Amino acid sequence: MNGNGKKKRIGVFVCHCGVNIASVVDVERVAKELASYPGVVFSTDYVYMCSDPGQKLILDTIKEQQLDAAIISACSPTLHEKTFQNVAKLAGISPYQIEIANIREQDSWVHSDKERATEKAIRIVKSMVEKVLQNESLEPIKVGINRRALVIGAGISGLQAALDIADHGYEVLLVERNPSIGGHMIQLSETFPTLDCSQCIMTPKMVEVSRHPNIRIMTYCEVESVSGFVGNFKVNIKKKPRYVNETLCNLCGECEKVCPQVVQDEFNMGLSFRKAIYMPFPQAIPATYTLDIDNCLGLLPIRCGKCKDVCDVNAIDYDQQEEIIEEEVGAVVVATGYDLYTMDHLGEYGGEKYEDVVNGLEFERILSASGPTGGVVRRPSDGKVPKNIVFIQCCGSRDPENHNPYCSKICCMYTAKHAMLYKHRVPDGNATVFYIDIRTGGKAFEEFYQRAIDEEEVLYIRGKVSKIIKEGDKLIVWGSDTLTGKKIEMEADMVVLAMSMVKTEGVEDLLKKLKIAVDANGWLAEAHPKLRPVESLNAGFYLAGCAHGPKDIPETVSQASAAAAKVGDLFAQEELIHEPTIVPVNEDLCSGCGICIPVCPYNARSLDLEKKVVKVNEVLCEGCGACAAACPSGAAQQRNLTDDQIFSMVKAMLKG
Amino acid sequence: MRLHYFPGCTVKEKTTNLDSSTYAAMEALGYELVEPENWTCCGAEFPLNEEKIIGLAAPARILRQVELEGGDKVFTVCSFCYNVLKRTNEAILKDPLKHKRINAYLKDDIKIDHISKKKTTGFPEYNGEVKVLHLLEFIRDEVGYEKLRSLIKRDISGLKVAAYYGCRLLRPKDEAGIDEPDDPSIFEEFLENIGCKVIDFPFKQECCGSYLSVSMPEAASEASYNIIRSAQLNGADALALSCPLCYYNLDRRQDRIKEKFLDFTGMPILFFTQILAWALGVEEKILGLDQHYFDPRPVLGIESKAEVAS
Repeated sequence: MNGNGKKKRIGVFVCHCGVNIASVVDVERVAKELASYPGVVFSTDYVYMCSDPGQKLILDTIKEQQLDAAIISACSPTLHEKTFQNVAKLAGISPYQIEIANIREQDSWVHSDKERATEKAIRIVKSMVEKVLQNESLEPIKVGINRRALVIGAGISGLQAALDIADHGYEVLLVERNPSIGGHMIQLSETFPTLDCSQCIMTPKMVEVSRHPNIRIMTYCEVESVSGFVGNFKVNIKKKPRYVNETLCNLCGECEKVCPQVVQDEFNMGLSFRKAIYMPFPQAIPATYTLDIDNCLGLLPIRCGKCKDVCDVNAIDYDQQEEIIEEEVGAVVVATGYDLYTMDHLGEYGGEKYEDVVNGLEFERILSASGPTGGVVRRPSDGKVPKNIVFIQCCGSRDPENHNPYCSKICCMYTAKHAMLYKHRVPDGNATVFYIDIRTGGKAFEEFYQRAIDEEEVLYIRGKVSKIIKEGDKLIVWGSDTLTGKKIEMEADMVVLAMSMVKTEGVEDLLKKLKIAVDANGWLAEAHPKLRPVESLNAGFYLAGCAHGPKDIPETVSQASAAAAKVGDLFAQEELIHEPTIVPVNEDLCSGCGICIPVCPYNARSLDLEKKVVKVNEVLCEGCGACAAACPSGAAQQRNLTDDQIFSMVKAMLKG
Repeated sequence: MRLHYFPGCTVKEKTTNLDSSTYAAMEALGYELVEPENWTCCGAEFPLNEEKIIGLAAPARILRQVELEGGDKVFTVCSFCYNVLKRTNEAILKDPLKHKRINAYLKDDIKIDHISKKKTTGFPEYNGEVKVLHLLEFIRDEVGYEKLRSLIKRDISGLKVAAYYGCRLLRPKDEAGIDEPDDPSIFEEFLENIGCKVIDFPFKQECCGSYLSVSMPEAASEASYNIIRSAQLNGADALALSCPLCYYNLDRRQDRIKEKFLDFTGMPILFFTQILAWALGVEEKILGLDQHYFDPRPVLGIESKAEVAS
């Protein structure tokens, strides 16, 4: 019945899809048989329904025949349901009166017997006629938007995303778990392929972020929980106590001088030392000291209290407590970055045993002018300048049997850079690189690599290193040259391992809270690998940088800007439209048993304790129907796919 | 305590010093060793190199015999036997097809008593329930280092010894490894706990040359030379090992190494059970120290009486 109590006038449009459908299904016969089916007042076939003339045919017919509903019998609804719903809108009927009968993916593509495939197509279309007879003309659900963004992680990707969103005119909360923003990029020495100093390009960006009126930086903070839905998230952020008042601290550094606790410095990858009260690096933002409570002797002044004694401005506050800060945002950019695969995974290289076997980030610090050696290449064990240095690529990458199956993407380039920078600093030294393949896909990358070989005389050997042993103060590298098939044994003063990039340690807990899917390797999963690369399937979450997979700086920055643009898209809308085909509760039938609550993957259902029935958050409900299947009393009926509809569809399907 | 011990043929026939020292050491630790009745050769490395299931019937039969005698575990001292028994057991446990096919052979077993001519048939299935252990594992997990230390009688702190694993104790990691193949430590821990000074050296997992000793003796000599040289460079006075084949290459063929490498000075090679038995106070003559090419008695602080055996 349509709204006026009259019988619905239904049109059937059968698509040939060129030969995709028509070669297996007798489309004319389908159209002819359907013409006499109860409720159907018009039926036709056409070669491409999705084409302009095809759409016009539907549009005109709806108007001329005064159709109330239409069945487009064509390809999967994921392809063109939206297209045909728009046609319905233009024709002045509800888009929810359009149904797609899939006779391509579910019929012509999987069958070859024309007779039987045609028979099946007829039944599929008939079942959709039965469904549409009971379809309601639903109205989309409208939701408001909170136009503030949360960016998690303040490395280069988080900074870029925050800046771009802020420049769009929206407020940004930038949350970073470390004491300073900057991420891994601020640790790097120089960047390929232009060799500009990382700090020189990074610190201005950090300052820009810190001064931007739309950005609020929250360092030493972690996201505790996220609830709500796209446009309307509630976030709890845990602020760890720094025990130093950021605004009072004047960076005099007296506290650091008196602190008796010496620990390995994370910023320098453990190659130097810091105190328990410290600033991660001189350009840190916020510019303040932080008391690392795990390494402090204890907050009781009787135990130590030296730092508090010497602080002239009384910035040190032992009474600071952990705080939970509640915020509301409309979109979340996840830019949690990466870690390096630890060297203990490759016991044969002795990275944990031999001090002079270092990973790529450690070597970055050794090369850096602000690093522990002031930019002079010295090896960690005895501070000597290494005359022979060996670089090993693919340490833990591209090894599905033992380690990670994927390519870490940046190692070919940064190893070429390392070798080049080493040669600049030690012109009479020998640099050797072991590689499996060289992958230099990127603007000016191949030229950079060739320069390392031609101008800097870096020796490239195609092959893997099997083991590194120590003899005296030398390292002996055993490997093979797979181009000559010869075994290689070579002395080295220092070895640099291009360790695989891996997901940030502990990030899985956060991702669970955000309900963001990850791939087999723990990298964030995008909504579509080609067409939606910066969005998560979970609406309102956007991905940026290495959290999504190994990337170099230019790519990270592009992705961060793209994520910011997507946030801009979202915020530019007046209100959000949510599909109305959700599962409401019929309160007369609901017994309040609550079976549907744990079944719901979107946390959309909860118990109304007063009424003793289940209530539904319509915006959270994605209409998956899990609750409708679970409900024992029939109180949960999916809109436009009720039990009645399903039964009449099944009957139509089974009738001869 | 009764405990099943599978010696294997090389241990019984060639390196009897490994066998005798095992018996003596285990007695000192309070164990009575039982060998499974009618044990046969485990097949050395060959059964696992082929896809033929029949090769796995012998090790499976040995394990079933342990079970029939009421044992729930069996230990070995030979790395090869350990590797074969353990991997066969793993195959039975984890690969249902291999379990079925191996048992198809075991089912047809006939035992004939040659005196009474009596035939026994109808043996039960073997389902991989016997635990296969190497003695190093057994000592760590079942004896415990604390108890081990309490039973030490002789001070051997002067013995600077390098632990040599070879390949069969460690690989393949997920089937038979007693420790991390790239960075093992169980052998060193054992030696430390019986009171030696342990020397770390980078060749501890390198191949000794294995059966190349037969087909390419030169290659085996070079491999063995590198291992001994590295141990010496790192300050070891002796090398401890568990594999009779490694022992053959590293000790018995030192004559051949000497011919090829003029700077080679040689080094005593000891089975870990010999050091264990000595530390537990076992008499010298039981250790079979006179069977070695390079006399190990001086490094153990024993005055050498006899001429060096060849």
